[in-house]
Formats: sequence, structure tokens, C-alpha cells
Amino acid sequence: MDLGRLEYLQALVTEFQVTESSEAKEQVLANLANFAYDPKNYEYLRQLQVLDLFLDALTEDKETLVEFAIGGLCNLCLDKTNKDYILEANGVQPIINCLSSSNEETVMSAVTTLMYLTTPQSRPQITALPVVECMLRFSLSANRRLSNLAVVFLEDYCAPVQVEEARSLSKHSAVGIPLPKD
Amino acid sequence: MAAAGGEVGGACGHHAQRDVCASRAKYREGRRPRAVKVYTINLESCYLLIQGVPALGVMKELVEQFALYGAIEEYNALDEYPAEQFTEVYLIKFQKLQNARVAKKKMDERNFFGSLLHVCYAPEFETVQETREKLQDRRKYIAKATSSKAHFSKMLQEPKRTVSNNLEYDFQSPTSGFCAADTTTGNWDPSGKACFPDFYKTFHCDFSAGNIAHASGYHSQSHLAFPQCVHYSNKAYECFSYNPSVKPTVQQGGHKHASGFPALQRTFDNGIDRFMPRTTQLEERKRKRNEGNKLAIIGTNSDSNELVIGPQLPEMPKVDMEDDSLNTSVSLIRNKLQEVAASVPETLKENPQDIQTKPLVKQRRRI
Repeated sequence: MDLGRLEYLQALVTEFQVTESSEAKEQVLANLANFAYDPKNYEYLRQLQVLDLFLDALTEDKETLVEFAIGGLCNLCLDKTNKDYILEANGVQPIINCLSSSNEETVMSAVTTLMYLTTPQSRPQITALPVVECMLRFSLSANRRLSNLAVVFLEDYCAPVQVEEARSLSKHSAVGIPLPKD
Repeated sequence: MAAAGGEVGGACGHHAQRDVCASRAKYREGRRPRAVKVYTINLESCYLLIQGVPALGVMKELVEQFALYGAIEEYNALDEYPAEQFTEVYLIKFQKLQNARVAKKKMDERNFFGSLLHVCYAPEFETVQETREKLQDRRKYIAKATSSKAHFSKMLQEPKRTVSNNLEYDFQSPTSGFCAADTTTGNWDPSGKACFPDFYKTFHCDFSAGNIAHASGYHSQSHLAFPQCVHYSNKAYECFSYNPSVKPTVQQGGHKHASGFPALQRTFDNGIDRFMPRTTQLEERKRKRNEGNKLAIIGTNSDSNELVIGPQLPEMPKVDMEDDSLNTSVSLIRNKLQEVAASVPETLKENPQDIQTKPLVKQRRRI
């Protein structure tokens, strides 16, 4: 339908893959992640395998790349096709790993993405004990944005039993994932 | 304030304006310089934080300015929020996220009483419930946008149509005020527009009469009567062309029944063009022109003996004035017109005023 847009997105993807400049890489990834906000682009993004591109970027060393990639996933994961694709590609674990990032935006996007990816099938993995524990800690954070999200996660996506279990467990252990820097 | 708790008093990291990115490749350059940043639903909010408001007691003006973009639920000054010297920080909560989105886009980096505003989303002021609803709304939006994929592109195109239809419907009501601006935007031949005011000054009476008697009460407001004629499409041109000879009879009729016509006006479709996007306007104009041409062809065919001067002369007689005396006048005019059409130069001699208008009329005619 809109060839211009497809071509443009293709150009972005190509630049991301071939560029040597880390700066350009960041910019392009941010571009793509912002394009992922608009459902009109989903078809093109799938066609260009941008979902894989985002998932791959989750394991990059550079923190900003991870931030933009999880932001992109957060933007497009509500779409049924995209959701199925991410779950199919075992995307949940790398997203859970993002919860321990020191970057606030990365953590926030990860929490939201996990909520949006919850299906009857994915629920056991997404509300696994360590995750709930982590959310409990976030819910006590002074960072209002993060605590709000964590509370929504605990109240709407976890069974009260799970929360209780996580609470009793965290009482006994001092181990935890460090909170993101503000 | 709903969300005055937590660390809200302090500045948040995500509010610091990031440096503009200056190293973008040409094809990725936007219209405005921007930082490299990814927006997600987490960053958006109905709450907008407005920094850089000059400390001049301009809260009212600020809120008025933002209210242009949607209903504001609450607003207040954040006295504790760290601000630059002589500036204040305000928090505005919109009822709808979409409104906040537009307001941010329009107002960020805008000059406000001599200082540049920095507008950003402030999701940290949300309550848990507000965050929850925001996430839910996004979920609903995506579900709606992607579920009907087949109809999606269709839907994208259709609203345009409905909108213009609605407008047509809405503005058909006799709010003549709306058509005031129509003279400039209406589907009017430029040359006609240029000469019309003069013409009107001299002959406003027969003008309205020629237009089938818009109440003469509007005579003083030329622009009110005018656009309605415009929507008569090409017929109108014809009316004008022949007006001069028509004048004496109908002027009287028009005055006599001046007050009896508000209902008649309803049927004229007025003031629409003003609310149409330009492309729609152009299309409409083209359509009307085609229609006019079609009619002209039909006209010449049916009255092949008659000399048809304008494209739509044969359409004229169809007008029903809903009043016997007016109908009589109209048929008189009609006969007169036919006479005129048969022998233009003679009729001109009959009426001295016609000579004045002759050049004007000629200019406006489209042959």
C-alpha cells in the first residue's frame, strides 16, 4: 500500500545492520522503536523482521541500545501477531533479564512489555517467583512511575498467593536485584 | 494534588531535556531538531509538566493556552519544583491522553511571554489507577486498530467522507453567518468575485431578486445573500447574467415578501465550503463544473432553436417560489429573459441602468 514507508523502514534496517558508527546505530534503533508505536507500521516491521532485530538488540552491551530495543518491543507487543511472534521466539526470558538493568526506562519498558505479553500460556513464565519478587521490590521504590507499574503488575497479573509467596520469601533473603538508578 | 506523594517534589531524570542530536543522516532528519529518544506508553501521560513559565502571574493565560487542546481536569503551580530563576513550573492534567499528546507537541518549545516553554509528560504524578487505565487504553487502542485489519485502510479513508457529509448536514441549518467567509473560499470564478462587489452595490435589489428572493432584509449584508447563490452552482451565473432586465418586477416582489422567506433559505446549502479541506473543495468545484457542462449539453439539445448563452439557462424556470404572486413575477421574469436572450441589444436600450451593468455582466459570464 504505502511503498514509500516500507522503503524508508528498509533503509533504516539496512543502515542499522551495516553501519560502523555506534551513534548511528542508536539513532536508527530509536527511529525504528518509535515507528513501532503506530499500529499502521506493524505489517512493514514484521516484513522487515524488525521484531528479531529488537530481540537481538536486547543482548547488546550498550545500555542505550537495550533501552531502545525494549522500548520498541513495548510499543508493538500488544498486537496479537507480534505477541505470538515474540512468545514463539522465546522473547520472554531476555525481557525478564531487562528487569535487572540499571536504566530506569529499560526496566519500565520491560515491566510493561511483560504485562502485555501475558497470555494463559506465557503466564507461568512471566509470573515466576523471581519476577514477582522483583516486582515487590519495585513496588516499594521511591520512583513513582516504577512503583505504579509494579503495583499494577502485582494486582492485575499475579494471583494473591504468588504475591504472598514472594513476600515471605523476600523476608528471608537479602538477595535481590538492585534497583535501577534514577 | 492527587499525586503529591513520593518523590514528586524533586526533579525527575527523565525531565531533563536531552541534547539535540546533530549527527543524523540526511534521510533521517526530521523537521525539528530532536534528541534521540524512544517514546513508549510509560513515558506518556495525561499530566504535563510545563517548565520555563515566566514568573509574571500568567497562570490564567497559560491554562487558557493549553485548554485549546482539550479539557483540563486540574492544574496547579509546583512551587517546590526546582526551576530556573524568574520562571515557574506548572502541572496540567488533561482528561484525555490524546489531548495531552497534542498539547505537548504544539506547546513544547513555544514562546510564551518571552520565554521558551519546556513541556514534558509527567507520569510520576499518576496514581496507580491512572497508570492502570493508561495501559488499558493503549491495549484497547491496539486491539481496535489491529483487529479490523481488513477494514482498516477503508476506515482510514472513510472518515473524510463522513466528516464532510456531517458538515454539510450541520451547516445547512439557516445560520447564514457561516457563509460570510464564503465569498473568499467559495467555488467562485475569480473574475466574478472581483467584479461582484461593485455590481452588488448598484444592483443589490435585483441581485437578491434574481436569486429568487432572499429576504430583502439581507440587502445590507451583501455577503450573506451571496454565497447562497454560489451554491446554486452554475445556475447562479445565469441569474446574474440576466438580472438587469429582471430588476424592476422582482424588486417589488422581493420587498413585499421580504419577511416571508426564512424557510426558503433553509434549502440553500450555505457555508459548507469554508469547512472543507482544500482538496475536497477543488474536487467539488470540478464536479460542479462537469455537472454544469452536462446540463449545458442537455439544454442545447432540448431547446435547439433557442440561443443558449450560459451553460445552464434551461435550469432557471424550475424555481418554485411557493407563493402565487411571486410565481407570477418569476414567470414574468422568465418570459422577459427569453426575450432578452432573443434580442440582447434591444433590451439593453429599454433599461438605462442595464447599460451600466453591461460590462460587469459580461465579465462574469462564462461562455
